[in-house]
Amino acid sequence: MASAAPLEPPPEGVEARDIAERAEEALRSERTFLAAEMTVISPRLTAPRVVAFENWDDRPGRRSFIRISAPAKDADTTFLKLHPNLWMYVPRVERTMRIPPSMMLQSWMGSDFTNDDLVKESSSLDDYDHHLLGVDPSPEGHEGLRAYVVEYVPHEDAAVVWGRIVTWIEVEHGTPLRQEFYDEGGERLRLMEFGEIEEVDGRYYPRSWTMRPLDKEGHETRIHVREVRFDAAIEDSVFTKRNLTKRR
Amino acid sequence: MILRLAWRNAWRNPRRTGILVVAVAVGIAGTLLTMALNYGMVFQMVETAIATELGHLQVHAPGFDANPELAVRLTDGGRKGLSTLDGLAGVRAVARRVRGEGLLSSPRASAGVRVIGIEPEREARITRIAASVTDGSYLDGVGRRVLVGEALAERLEVDVGDKVVLTVQDLAGELTGEALRIAGLFVTPSYELDTSTVYLRLDDGQSLLGLGGSVSEIVALADRRSRVPALRARLASELGDGAEVRSWDELQPVLVYLIEVFDQSALIVYGAVFVAMAFGIANVLLMTVYERTREIGIMRAVGFGRRALVATIVTESLLVTALGLGLGFAVALACVLWLGDGLDLSYFAEGLGRYGITSRIVPVLRSGDFTAPVGVAIVTAVLASAWPAWRAVRLRPAEAVRQT
Amino acid sequence: MAWRNVWRNPRRTALTVAATVFAVVLVMVAVAMGAGTHEKMIEDTVRVNAGHVQVSGPGYRAKRTLEQYLHFDDEVVRRLVRAEGAIGVAPRITSFGLLSQDSATRGVAVVGVDPLREGSVTTLPGRVREGRFLAPEGFREILLGGRLARILSAGVGDEVLLYSIAYSMESAYELFRVVGILKLPEATMDRSLAVISLGDAQEFFVYGDRVSEIAILADDSDSVPVLASAVQRAVGERPAEVHTWRESMPELEQLILLDDAGMYVMLAVLVVVVGFGILNTILMAVLERKREFGVVLALGLKPRAIFTIVYLESLLLALVGLVIGLAIALPLILYLQAHPIALAGDAVEAMELFGIEPQATWKLKPLNPLGSVLTILGVAIVAALYPAAKASRARPVEALRSL
Repeated sequence: MASAAPLEPPPEGVEARDIAERAEEALRSERTFLAAEMTVISPRLTAPRVVAFENWDDRPGRRSFIRISAPAKDADTTFLKLHPNLWMYVPRVERTMRIPPSMMLQSWMGSDFTNDDLVKESSSLDDYDHHLLGVDPSPEGHEGLRAYVVEYVPHEDAAVVWGRIVTWIEVEHGTPLRQEFYDEGGERLRLMEFGEIEEVDGRYYPRSWTMRPLDKEGHETRIHVREVRFDAAIEDSVFTKRNLTKRR
Repeated sequence: MILRLAWRNAWRNPRRTGILVVAVAVGIAGTLLTMALNYGMVFQMVETAIATELGHLQVHAPGFDANPELAVRLTDGGRKGLSTLDGLAGVRAVARRVRGEGLLSSPRASAGVRVIGIEPEREARITRIAASVTDGSYLDGVGRRVLVGEALAERLEVDVGDKVVLTVQDLAGELTGEALRIAGLFVTPSYELDTSTVYLRLDDGQSLLGLGGSVSEIVALADRRSRVPALRARLASELGDGAEVRSWDELQPVLVYLIEVFDQSALIVYGAVFVAMAFGIANVLLMTVYERTREIGIMRAVGFGRRALVATIVTESLLVTALGLGLGFAVALACVLWLGDGLDLSYFAEGLGRYGITSRIVPVLRSGDFTAPVGVAIVTAVLASAWPAWRAVRLRPAEAVRQT
Repeated sequence: MAWRNVWRNPRRTALTVAATVFAVVLVMVAVAMGAGTHEKMIEDTVRVNAGHVQVSGPGYRAKRTLEQYLHFDDEVVRRLVRAEGAIGVAPRITSFGLLSQDSATRGVAVVGVDPLREGSVTTLPGRVREGRFLAPEGFREILLGGRLARILSAGVGDEVLLYSIAYSMESAYELFRVVGILKLPEATMDRSLAVISLGDAQEFFVYGDRVSEIAILADDSDSVPVLASAVQRAVGERPAEVHTWRESMPELEQLILLDDAGMYVMLAVLVVVVGFGILNTILMAVLERKREFGVVLALGLKPRAIFTIVYLESLLLALVGLVIGLAIALPLILYLQAHPIALAGDAVEAMELFGIEPQATWKLKPLNPLGSVLTILGVAIVAALYPAAKASRARPVEALRSL
């Protein structure tokens, strides 16, 4: 685990699950809108690839809508997630496709995230048991902050491949700082780092999310959130297949 | 009387005849043994295919052969098929299965797989999958378990007890995934199976694939393979249009083709060996004819008919051949018994493994295998005696008698 | 004297010679048939897979993704095409993708092939059961496996969407027009294979001049080792892996070895049978001339001399048989090699199902006739010993008595 100093013991009366919920709240409200840029770095690329998108999210309904705005070739490509299914629409050829099981672990838009990540990212609370491991007085990358270290262990029947996920959650405001993904054997396979924490609408929000696969050299995907609106007024019609094909 | 004559003639020169008999015996025994081993191999291939997955008979909903989709299912849960099979004599075991396909993923890798949901106990009486488990256990234990081929587990970098996620598109078209723990690893003679198929319990499979109480197929094993065609016919007629019945040879025609290829090559080989023997027999017979020129002359002069003469020579030929056959059969049988357990060909294990053959080949001699040589032998004996007989008949009695 | 004796009884001599001739011809034709069958087996198998020799990017065989590539520039092409023993060079790209037609979507294995070159290595062009193969000048044409087409409800003339992630990490999607439906014996392939042209694949996957592998067909499986070295040289300093069919499919080689073993056993049996026949004949000749030998011995000729004479006689016969046998067998085999015999029966259907031509083939391998000749010569040498020995032991007294 990445910590310079040893963990302090967990304080009394603090529930791991509550902390996890706070982390969720810091990132999302019931309806959230965000506009972001995703930068993909890979040894295959001569220059980093940048994809700009907008995301409308309905947390309780487990629905999500994404529209790609850049680069031009991918503009107006849309994705609709109605848990657990995922659809995509490609405007230039006017085709809507449902992503089949065999494609779920393929890269999403060329990034280090998979289609499966898109579908699964809405299930952090219900599919896991949470354990508070302690408090990290000086987490890596955020040396000035103190963070709870919470271990997420998936339920036996949860369709999650990870053995466990260890999350650093800032003590004062509940912002997630870092996530380490382990397989059941205890090997660390993925790292998600959150940065550029700013206050937005009363939430302390990380504007930068960086995913790094640890078994591949030189790969990194960074999402930079340009704009985020909490408790946004998003209509239900956004989360429909019809909306997939609607042009801006 | 002809018989006695022929016999006496045959043994007139014991060494010569003896050598010929031995030659025939060697030919027969060698051929029989090689055939036995070949058949042993083919039988194993067939039995392996049957015991690995095919069973003897399979029942599906109509249209499955053309379109093996989830939707083409036995909605009664196989009840009708099962009860019909229970009522038929000659059926040793019956089991139900569900079939689907999906993606099996581990933290490091993923692979497309066929998913087969089985009834563990019943399945164990039909296929060898239970016996093929090399590590862990056979779908025992509480919770959702899966049996994975050793080769596949290696590819996914997982082991017994590890968690994997199986993602499928269920009957309703919904994407659904489930976490499963690896109950055990298996190794079968089929590499193909080991890398592409996983087994679940039937009820787990039904719930994952959204099938409710339906099943995809019923598989049955008969007492003996020879009973299968009759069983198939009866089953088909009783189930009528409500189901498709297929036997193992329809499910995997390749096997039948291989058996036929062997049968055909067997005939060719026999032919060659017997032609070789024919030469030897003809040679010897010719010699005896010349040796006995005088005697033949006397016989003819005394009134021994032409036909009788021919008969004698042909009989001699047949006798020698028969002796050779008998000896050859005995030697072949002895060798088969001696080989007992089978011939160890573990050097070729890898190659054989790809075709479903284990490295121990048991020679198979069926009663039918003996009739072909007998038939060919008779024909050979008769043909071989043709020219000598003709020569004998052509001898003019007067001249013959004068010969010294 | 040996020669004169041989012709004393023309008929018997003829029979012995005939037996030898028969043995020689049979053994040689059988061995050639075995060699021919195995050659065909190898060829049939490699033509369904990736040729006798494959060149691919480092790590391709383990991972099979776009990341493991090989540059397919003109230089490489030229050298490979000219490599000794290569009769076909076919570059390919393999990757994964999504194929969609109306509301049906399916994960597929995408293979990009060169329409002009593919047929020189694999049997893919011949597997089109509906429509046609890719045209060299065709644009965005695609072939689908039979079952795949059915699942997607796609037919010749339909447009399907292919979606994937390109090498440049961008999304790649294009509409392709179905020009042909394939019939593939392997069910998994039939359900998931989509074939496009190499040029289209390089454009679609933003691959530049890269390919996943190059499949090379040899004129004969015996020239593979030499070809593999030539290929290695052609590739030169470029990062690549060169593999032969033996490494990719060891089970095929083992099966051939096993089959050979079985065949040699059978031939041994055959040769023994014929050997006995020859033995018998010579023995009879010897016994017939017992009197003659007795006389000669009494006249002072050494037993050893008789042994030698008889022995030489027999060998002479064998040699004559060998020569005649060779004279018949060699042209026969060469003819059969050039004109394989078509098979008949149920086996034909099964073979065609697998894309195998139902033929019996022969192949004359340089060393085989030599082996056959030596074997039969060996048998003759051994078989003649006994009769010759018998001849030399003829008792002069008895011989004289029977006069």
